[in-house]
Amino acid sequence: MLKKMFIAVGRYILFLKMVFRRPDRWRIFWRQFINEADKLIISSVLLVGVISLFIGGVLVIQTASNLENPLIDKMYVGYMVRESLILEFCSTMIALILAGKMGSNIASEIGSMRITEQIDAMDMMGVNSAGFLVLPKIVASTLLSPLLMLLSLALGVLGGYLVVEFTQIIPTASYITGIKAFYNGFYVWYSCFKMSLFCFMIASIAAYNGYYAKGGSLGVGKSSTQAIVTTSILILLADLIVTQLMLY
Amino acid sequence: MIKVENLYKGFDGVPVLKGINVEYEPGKCNMIIGASGSGKTVLLKNLIGLLEPDSGDISYGDRKLSSMSEKEKRMLRKDIGILFQGSALFDFATVIENVMFPMEFFTDWSYAQRKERAQFCLEKVNVIGSDAKFPNELSGGMQKRVGIARAIALNPSYLFCDEPNSGLDPYTSILIDELISNITQEFNMTTVVNTHDMNSILEIGDKIAFMYKGSLLWQGDKNTILHTDCAELREFICANTLARNIIEGR
Repeated sequence: MLKKMFIAVGRYILFLKMVFRRPDRWRIFWRQFINEADKLIISSVLLVGVISLFIGGVLVIQTASNLENPLIDKMYVGYMVRESLILEFCSTMIALILAGKMGSNIASEIGSMRITEQIDAMDMMGVNSAGFLVLPKIVASTLLSPLLMLLSLALGVLGGYLVVEFTQIIPTASYITGIKAFYNGFYVWYSCFKMSLFCFMIASIAAYNGYYAKGGSLGVGKSSTQAIVTTSILILLADLIVTQLMLY
Repeated sequence: MIKVENLYKGFDGVPVLKGINVEYEPGKCNMIIGASGSGKTVLLKNLIGLLEPDSGDISYGDRKLSSMSEKEKRMLRKDIGILFQGSALFDFATVIENVMFPMEFFTDWSYAQRKERAQFCLEKVNVIGSDAKFPNELSGGMQKRVGIARAIALNPSYLFCDEPNSGLDPYTSILIDELISNITQEFNMTTVVNTHDMNSILEIGDKIAFMYKGSLLWQGDKNTILHTDCAELREFICANTLARNIIEGR
């Protein structure tokens, strides 16, 4: 199993080497980049938005129910919700959700191209298929995913605000004070960085699994599942490492 | 001209090609025939560079594939058109975009020039009025035609067709065969067709190479194939009723 893992890592590195070759035509690359930005990032806005809105609301209720001690200022509810959103939810949790959505999309798209010989056709034309198909996906998801993180943060905070406003679980003014309290801009950068890193992993690992898919439609399904499982585990591992390195 | 010399290829120690020697001439439909599992596709994949031979040489003109640099191989690939068994049209592109695809990468033509050339190629294969359709909106025969149009888009010197008639009805098969034959003669291409369809073999087989269990057992043309003494080839031919009737004089 260890041998298999080393082989896979080596093949993944060689795959990335193929992907990061200079594009044959920059014009084609930018056109593909815009297509992929639409397909991978813009199309995720609704999913990320809805989840963030609800999670923001739920976090407020959960935090408020755990801070019933009258000695603790209610503004800490807003503060803790904001920190939870920035530090973990908006990057790691959203990335895990995207691993399912984006990962399966990329792996199945490239996998089905592999088994229907479309990738062979590109290679035979002399086109760098890995570069043409994968590089725009990786660049689009790595560069633009922090925008999803910021959107998630904004909607999470808004979700919390709406719950506070409509249920008065804590005073609205305390929530707003908490949201603004002890703000550390570095945490936002840290979260953006994590999101970029995780989305790089999602796009590249899913593409790798799809690119080497074999065995017909079953193989495509298998590569898609493999991509999601591998990416999810590696995201959690990378989260631990990056947090240790950047916060301590 | 493509020359294959003493080509060997195996997988996991199992030999699939055993010392193949064959020449493919320009302006002719060169057929590779044989039963499933005889090594036809492996030979074709070696010819187009999708697989590396274990030993032996493949020469395009006077250039040996094994001694070419990556850049030279890339240049050669621009001179090769391929029709894959399943057509391999790009799902993300329309018919016209599929045909324009190689031009976008390898020419400096304007959009109008690329479109004009693509339309010319589509007219050659009788696909008219389907420019904006996606591959999944086309029938199998139409997909093959578009595949041929894309293969000839850069006016290549070499055309490879892997099972061009698979999954097609007999009438469409004849049309595709005629198309391949006409294009080969008109553009003086070196065409290599991988098939086990006897109708195609008898229709357009200018030069035929019969493969059996990884070896090349017989070479000839459509006029001599029915008079062969090769027992394995006769068995292969007789699996087809029409050919059997001709052989048996019925």
